Amino acid sequence: MKTMKKGFMFNVSMVLLLGMMAGCSTNNNNPNVSPTGEATSKPAVTTTSPSTEKVKITYSMWGSEEEGKKTQEAADKFNASQNRIEVKVQAIPWENYMTKLNTQATAGQLPDTGILKEDGVIQWSSDGMLNDVSSMYTGSDSKPLDSLAYKYQGKTVAYAAANEILLLYYNKDMFDKAKVPYPPSALDKAWTWEEFVATAKKLTVDSNGKHPDEDGFKPQSIVQYGASVENLAWQLEAWALSNGGGFYSNDGTAVRIGEDASIEAIQKVADLYLKDHVAPLSVGQTDDGIQRTIIAGKVAMATNGAWNVGTSLNAAKDAGLKYGVAVLPYFKEKVTLNTGGANVVFSQTKHPKEAMEWLKWYTAEENNWGLISSGIWMPTLKKWYTDETLTHKWVDNPNFPPYNEYKSAVVDYAQSSAARPAAWFYTNHTTDFNTLLASTLGDVWTGKTSAKEAISKNLEALKAANKGQK
Amino acid sequence: MSDAAYSRFKSKKRSERTINALTLLIVIVFALIVLFPIWWIFRTSLMTNPEIYQYPPALLPKNWLFSNYEKTMQIFKFWKYLWNTMIIIVPSCLGGTFTATLCGYAFARLRFRGKQLIWSLCVGSMLLPAMVTLIPLYIGWTRGLGLQDSYLPLILPYFCGGGAFNIFLIRQFILSIPRELDQAATIDGAGYFRILFSIIMPAIKPAMIVVAMFIFIGLWNDLLQQMIYINSSDKYTIALGITNFKGQLKQDWSMTMAATCLSFAPGVIFYLIGQKYFVEGITLTGLKN
Amino acid sequence: METFNKPQQRRSRLHSNEASVAYICLIPAILGLIFLTYLPLLGVLGISMTNWTGLKKPEFIGFSNYITLFTTDPYMKDSILATLYFAFLSVAGSMIYSLFIAMLLNRKIPARGFFRAVFYVPFVLPAAAIYVGWSWLYEANFGFFNYLLSEIGLNKVLFIADSNYVVPSLSLISVWLSGNLIVIFLAGLQNVPSVYHEAAEMDGANGWNRFRHITLPCMTPIIFYNLLLSLIANLQVVTPALALTNGGPGNSSRFMTYLMYDQAFVNYKLGYACATTFIVFAILAAFTAVLFKTSKRWIYSEGDDDK
Repeated sequence: MKTMKKGFMFNVSMVLLLGMMAGCSTNNNNPNVSPTGEATSKPAVTTTSPSTEKVKITYSMWGSEEEGKKTQEAADKFNASQNRIEVKVQAIPWENYMTKLNTQATAGQLPDTGILKEDGVIQWSSDGMLNDVSSMYTGSDSKPLDSLAYKYQGKTVAYAAANEILLLYYNKDMFDKAKVPYPPSALDKAWTWEEFVATAKKLTVDSNGKHPDEDGFKPQSIVQYGASVENLAWQLEAWALSNGGGFYSNDGTAVRIGEDASIEAIQKVADLYLKDHVAPLSVGQTDDGIQRTIIAGKVAMATNGAWNVGTSLNAAKDAGLKYGVAVLPYFKEKVTLNTGGANVVFSQTKHPKEAMEWLKWYTAEENNWGLISSGIWMPTLKKWYTDETLTHKWVDNPNFPPYNEYKSAVVDYAQSSAARPAAWFYTNHTTDFNTLLASTLGDVWTGKTSAKEAISKNLEALKAANKGQK
Repeated sequence: MSDAAYSRFKSKKRSERTINALTLLIVIVFALIVLFPIWWIFRTSLMTNPEIYQYPPALLPKNWLFSNYEKTMQIFKFWKYLWNTMIIIVPSCLGGTFTATLCGYAFARLRFRGKQLIWSLCVGSMLLPAMVTLIPLYIGWTRGLGLQDSYLPLILPYFCGGGAFNIFLIRQFILSIPRELDQAATIDGAGYFRILFSIIMPAIKPAMIVVAMFIFIGLWNDLLQQMIYINSSDKYTIALGITNFKGQLKQDWSMTMAATCLSFAPGVIFYLIGQKYFVEGITLTGLKN
Repeated sequence: METFNKPQQRRSRLHSNEASVAYICLIPAILGLIFLTYLPLLGVLGISMTNWTGLKKPEFIGFSNYITLFTTDPYMKDSILATLYFAFLSVAGSMIYSLFIAMLLNRKIPARGFFRAVFYVPFVLPAAAIYVGWSWLYEANFGFFNYLLSEIGLNKVLFIADSNYVVPSLSLISVWLSGNLIVIFLAGLQNVPSVYHEAAEMDGANGWNRFRHITLPCMTPIIFYNLLLSLIANLQVVTPALALTNGGPGNSSRFMTYLMYDQAFVNYKLGYACATTFIVFAILAAFTAVLFKTSKRWIYSEGDDDK
């Protein structure tokens, strides 16, 4: 009937209108896409064009909208400080960050520069997607720590945007209650693995108050655990190295995970749950390792990255949590891994010089102080570790544990010989390798198979993954 | 009624009542079981973080912290995500329902060459899972048409019939409407389109609502497609918002759960409203394959 | 009379008009079928024969992706097994559960509409959020289910952290989510002509016999529809792996669609991923074909079998 027709026409126009709105809004919100997109089709715009023309570059980073805004604030400071370069920040959520970048690469629409996930750097480099940035710090008063340079074929292809190391966190209240001395924050007093396990046992109790090794201890009714070691594939390398083994050879081309020392280390980590009964089963999928353990008061010690000081521990500290930082225990050698997402300049860019200038400015600690003072990032430039005044500036901070403790367990630790770069700084195909390793070890954590069996069975596949075949 | 028959009748009535009572009991038990995970999420949203990790886990929160929802709304841009989700869903529902009706009408009522062929292709596409075409479509939309970070790849496909299942549904419905109505209109001089709009559409209103609901639910839950085509966080849908919220560095389970409960609300409300038509629609479909 | 000739003329005019109307109506569908379905399908096949990674130019490598997948790929075999296992448990579980509940709800109990809504609600909730909620129930150390188990005195079950239990655990969630099948079954139950039931009762048939010989046969078309729906949906399972398990532990929940997603969107091995996709498609098509072929034998259809 007539009314039906009227309603119908209205519906059609609504649909078209909404469709157009959706289309328009997407176009308007993508100023990033047009400059770089058109740059590839126009004749090359040289950077020596009249300097009244501001060079616009884009920088992509992972993070929430909040974090993106903070970064753009920093970028705006940069933009205001000079009139040759204008930086626009593109924040992409962490889960799909690399996927998005991959898409943009295919479409030829990469930003000029951005942060890249650690395990992708060497891969992208070998595909020719990254520019050489070794000239970035020529003439500066300080360079980033050696362990923070991503190297491919002898060239530095990226510097880490921040430093991160693995630490041992612990809940001071739980230690006090059990009258157990704290873990050491000084590297020369680091615990051996045995000492670590023994302490953990003192802090593990079941529902009857019994510790492991005591008669009548019931592993099924543990109410509090002593320790938890993260079993993410890339972190396991630290333990393998500490035991005299490792994942790869020094140049990343040979696989060493089949060595007895490496296997033994992994098995010992699993045994924390299986034999020693001091650790909960490590689920390892979520980001809240510290939340579930130290902050919740369920586990007394936990290994995790330094960023937790800023991401969860500072809020907990405000709510009354007393926590401490210590150096990792060791098997034979003292080892921790350092890592950090890489700031790269994409080879698709038309403005490499400007991109490097921006990166250098941005990673200068003064310019992203928010992330450093919150504890999420650690500085990259050497001077912050060696110059005591700068170190004080960094660590004297209500967000952090006491100065001496943090300095010893984190600052000194990070520049000691114990700190080794995580494999992805120099090894290709780490994503494939780590995924395969994680899948290989799946049943090891629950005790269904031993590390030796699992790794031996899959050694050839692991080697192939490292070579980039599948 | 004879005495024997009457007593048989009465005992049958009694046993039927006991069976009904028993059934009700079982249904209630199952309903509780089904609702339990939802309750779990809800109660987590009302607790403090330390409370959540307590062992043994508590069934009821100590204090019903509805303030968590306030806190969450400050960080979790619920309304914005809802708005974004609606921007995708509304045109898709309208477009999908409209085109499904057009196509269903053609298959149900009209005669034309190639009908069998096109119908088979249509049915065939029902059996093609979305996963299979995901990659080329992705490349096509983003690389071929340059639609980065856009809602269009999520909306436009619904303008092509809204999915073969929906065309199928409409077709079945129209088939159940007697042709005499059409013929009467034809004799009165109505063309095919007039018949469609004036006669068929009003008659299959429940089916159209059902199709709209199917599209709604499909899009509401479609995390994968949304994750792939949407980049910037201010374009996030509810599903993406929750995923990103969970992954944000500031892990706070009570807030995550509160955000989750917020994301439940529109779907449930929509379902309760449409439920009436929905069940009517399913029933009338007949579903005779 | 005039009117006698008019319908004839009008009919022939309408005939060609009919076809054009039909084609106009079908433009969206045809466009969709070509560009959104069949061309991409060819695209998948094509890309699967290359080694495209999105970054470099693709090179044609023939079937070597397929060969690798079936020989040296560390995930493929486990993936197929995991997917089939999951689909089997989920489809069987969903069908039995929803039919059972539908039969319960079909009786005259109070507040039927309310209960119907309750069972349907899981289907409406955003899946990703659901899985997070369930992860708490399933948590290996402090989760609620393990708490219950330890109260009864049983050992803790590691659920999704245990390679033996992860698929059944995920299937349980899938069954919980299958409320949409209940509504369809309900409609089907109500369509069973009550005359049959009454006649059988008068002949002295009890509930179970009536179920076996009347309800079930009449329901076979509906059962078929639900079976097909459930099979297609569950063979394409990906959200639990994405949101909860990341394929683990080991490969026990590395479902095929998740594998494909991982290959394409994480490792960006597009050619390889397309090969996996095509294999998934082949498996799905095989199952569907079998289902359709055998359906003629066990579906009792009253009406027209107009396909």
